[in-house]
Amino acid sequence: MTPRERKSELLPGTLDMLVLKTLSVAPLHGYAIAQHIERLSREVLSVEQGSLYPALERLQRAGYITSKWGTSPTGRRARYYTITASGRRQLGQEISRFDSVALAIARVLGREARD
Amino acid sequence: MSWLDGVRHRLHTLVRPGAYARELDEEMAHHLELDAMQQGSEARAKRRFGSRAFHKEETRRMTWLASFDVLRQDLSYAWRSLARSPGHTALVVATLALGIGVNASVFVVLDRLYVRPPAGVAHPEELRRFWITHYTSREAPETWEGMSHPQYRALVGAAADPSSLTLYTTDWSERLGHAGDAPKVRAVYATASYFRVLGVRPALGRFFVPDEDVIGRPTPVAVISHRFWRRVFGGDTTVLGRTIALGRREYTVIGVAARGFGGLDLQEADVWIPLAAQPPATWWTADRGSWFENPNTVAYLAIQRVRAEATDASFEQRATAAIRAVNLRLARRNPDTLATVARGPIIAALGPGKPGAELVISTRLAAVALIVLVIAFANTTNLLLARANRRRREIAVRIALGISRWRLARLLLTETVLLAFVAAVVALLAAAWGGSLLRSLLFPEIEWYRSTIDVRIAWFALGVALSAGLLSGIVIAIQVSRPDLTIALKTGEREGGSARSALRAGLVAAQAALSVALLVGALLFVVSLRNVESLDIGFNRHELLVAHVSFAEGEDPSDEVFDQGLQRVAARFEDRPGVKGVARASLPPMRGFAFTTFYVGADSSDSFGKVMPSYTAVSPSFFRTAGLEVRRGRGFSDSVSAQASHEMLVNETMAKLVWRGADPIGQCVRFRDRESSCFRVVGIVEDARRFNVIEDTPAPQYYVPLGIAELGSGFAGTLLVRADPGTQRAVTRELATALRAEFPSATPDIELMTDVLEPEYRPWRLGATLFSGLGILALLVAAIGIYSNVWYAVAQRTREFGIRMALGARIADVLRLVVGQSLRVVVIGIAGGLLLVLLGGGLIASLLFGIGPRDPRTMLVVSGSLLAVSVLAAFFPAWRAARVDPTIALRAD
Repeated sequence: MTPRERKSELLPGTLDMLVLKTLSVAPLHGYAIAQHIERLSREVLSVEQGSLYPALERLQRAGYITSKWGTSPTGRRARYYTITASGRRQLGQEISRFDSVALAIARVLGREARD
Repeated sequence: MSWLDGVRHRLHTLVRPGAYARELDEEMAHHLELDAMQQGSEARAKRRFGSRAFHKEETRRMTWLASFDVLRQDLSYAWRSLARSPGHTALVVATLALGIGVNASVFVVLDRLYVRPPAGVAHPEELRRFWITHYTSREAPETWEGMSHPQYRALVGAAADPSSLTLYTTDWSERLGHAGDAPKVRAVYATASYFRVLGVRPALGRFFVPDEDVIGRPTPVAVISHRFWRRVFGGDTTVLGRTIALGRREYTVIGVAARGFGGLDLQEADVWIPLAAQPPATWWTADRGSWFENPNTVAYLAIQRVRAEATDASFEQRATAAIRAVNLRLARRNPDTLATVARGPIIAALGPGKPGAELVISTRLAAVALIVLVIAFANTTNLLLARANRRRREIAVRIALGISRWRLARLLLTETVLLAFVAAVVALLAAAWGGSLLRSLLFPEIEWYRSTIDVRIAWFALGVALSAGLLSGIVIAIQVSRPDLTIALKTGEREGGSARSALRAGLVAAQAALSVALLVGALLFVVSLRNVESLDIGFNRHELLVAHVSFAEGEDPSDEVFDQGLQRVAARFEDRPGVKGVARASLPPMRGFAFTTFYVGADSSDSFGKVMPSYTAVSPSFFRTAGLEVRRGRGFSDSVSAQASHEMLVNETMAKLVWRGADPIGQCVRFRDRESSCFRVVGIVEDARRFNVIEDTPAPQYYVPLGIAELGSGFAGTLLVRADPGTQRAVTRELATALRAEFPSATPDIELMTDVLEPEYRPWRLGATLFSGLGILALLVAAIGIYSNVWYAVAQRTREFGIRMALGARIADVLRLVVGQSLRVVVIGIAGGLLLVLLGGGLIASLLFGIGPRDPRTMLVVSGSLLAVSVLAAFFPAWRAARVDPTIALRAD
């Protein structure tokens, strides 16, 4: 196995959270999800785009998202992903977990906001 | 339900893997296309995406397909490896299927007897049956289910809630209409509370009500079973109000019971009729009191529904007291004041009563079936182990190439489980046949409506098969997955450690041991059967046709008219070719006997100890016809003078009992009182059985001429014809025609005495058949085990034998070596088996007759035959080894 060069390592589980967050706005197809994450994170968080698909499969398996084939604005057949109710609950939990982790890291690095 | 979405998705990937892969492909292609447009370069897009194959594989790994892939690989590997040696595979499947099939067949029967409550009954766990322990016999108390109607009324009186009780009796001998060949109808006579207590609903119409079940003025109505309705009336809904005839009695159909309900007994019922409407007691009850007053008609079974909130613990004590009071009031002498009442579950086999021979046999059979399974299992493991040994090099190569131990074990396990699965399917097919065979052997008189195979049996077979497969797979995996690599690679399939051959030898020894135990059991049963069959019961049962005639209610002629009719019929058959004798008797041999008080000198009939002498009134030709030899004196001169001159005969036991060594001939016996006229003993006849084929002590019996008014039961009721076996069928037919011509309103019933007694011989025959059948199967399996074990051992030692031969060993030397080694194992097994017999013999002692469970001759015979079979099984592979050409052997791997 050849080591892969990655632009930026994500924290474990972060990709799932980002996908859920993206889908919480509107149902999107795979490429649109990738674009959305890339654009909002100003390309810092861009991972190998292909790794989106295992994540999508994992989320579907857990029942957090569902998928349906539809037609894209360009007239192409595309698979659209929709977040489910339990997906939204999961998103909430992951955000709060992320917040606490982020806060802890900030404390360790001495960057806690002082006011 | 989001988790449902998840499951649906997983199933989708699993069920349509092709579509799933195509979709993923399309999706990724779409992605790349869009990104290429965005980035302006296909190459850049591809770089940004990463390896498509990798991500696809990763995605697939998320699904259930991944684990499925491995399983599929394992399965196809297992399948290929099994298909490579079809003979071996077939042998393993056959052995295992045999073991499982035998068990599934027994399960079919045991499930019905011990596990399944009667179908169609609401909350069967609340229902109770009643058992009464009787102390009437002068030996041990007896516990059985039946009670008399007066006892039931006492039970109702003692119950806190009388409506929780019902009473029924069965008559499986009724016929639809009165034609001789009319189909049988299984009738249940039950109280009006029957269906309510059981919680059964009508599918059509209604059930009978208390007003229709009044003793003395019953309403002739009938409820029919759903099955009977479909079978006889084709499911016609206009059946209500029609009449059906049982014999000559007619009943109006008022309802159809719910589908699936067939009463409470193993035999499903067809018709339910109010208890009050049952026909009067038939010919065998000597005292013709009405059925509801007669304390001796104990054919009624009581059922109670016990609700959890109203358990009445003291009921059994009150019921016991009430029944003792009834016994005291009604019994003419020796009232049973110790009788106790106990309640038990609705599954009769689980109750406190003494289990019938069929029950005992079927539970013993389960143990035997289990032994067969263990033998089959040991054999399977052995066969698989031998094969795994042959593949040691292949396995070593796999290990050297880095297969994980776990994966290797899983490969081997998959193989055995696959084998077990195939065996389970074969076994299930076998059980469909074996189960119904067993059912009809154990309960030939029952007509089974339900099929043998159902989901439970399938689960049972599958469960047994998979556990056997897993177990032997684990044994093999442990044995094989830790070989010493270098040795295995170098030596190939030759035997490695001695631990492994010790395990195989142990398995062979275990098979031999269990086979010995089974075969000893089987032989004991065969000897018992022979002992029982050769018992001299006195009567010539193979030639004696017993005929009686039953009349419709109120149409039976007087004793004199009936006797004259019988005489006319008898006269017509006396000279028929093939007929050796015709006689009349008051009661059928071994199916009826009568007592009366008599006086001999100062003694009366009560002063001769435990066993009362009984009498039968017979015509002069009786002794010749029945095959009873007159040992001293003579038989009756002829009907008229024998009656006029008051002659009688006694049997040898009675002669010894009453006259204690003095010569009975010419002695005087008085009936009724000490002053009545004198009956002279004119002859002594050989002993005959009184009631059962197996009687511990011969019964004292005496014979008087027909038509003696002093005796209660002195008139002819039975016609006996002794006929050659070849003519019996024709004689039976002609006799039926003649009896019908003589008594137009009667139904004749003619049976060969052997058939009448068959139920008594049957348990013995059954035990002998079933156990020797299984014993032979076990022996076969064990022989295959020994054969294959020696065969593999020999194959592995080809080079060794080659060297021995090259060094000058003779064929006989090699033969002795191989056969001797395998026999050592078998002898150890036989010793173990004999030990098993000595320890466990007591378990079947009650099923044996005239032979002990530890009979040394039987053990010797079985050990000898097993040894002989083993020598044979070992000889052929040994012969092959001895004939090997040294040059080929030395070159062999």
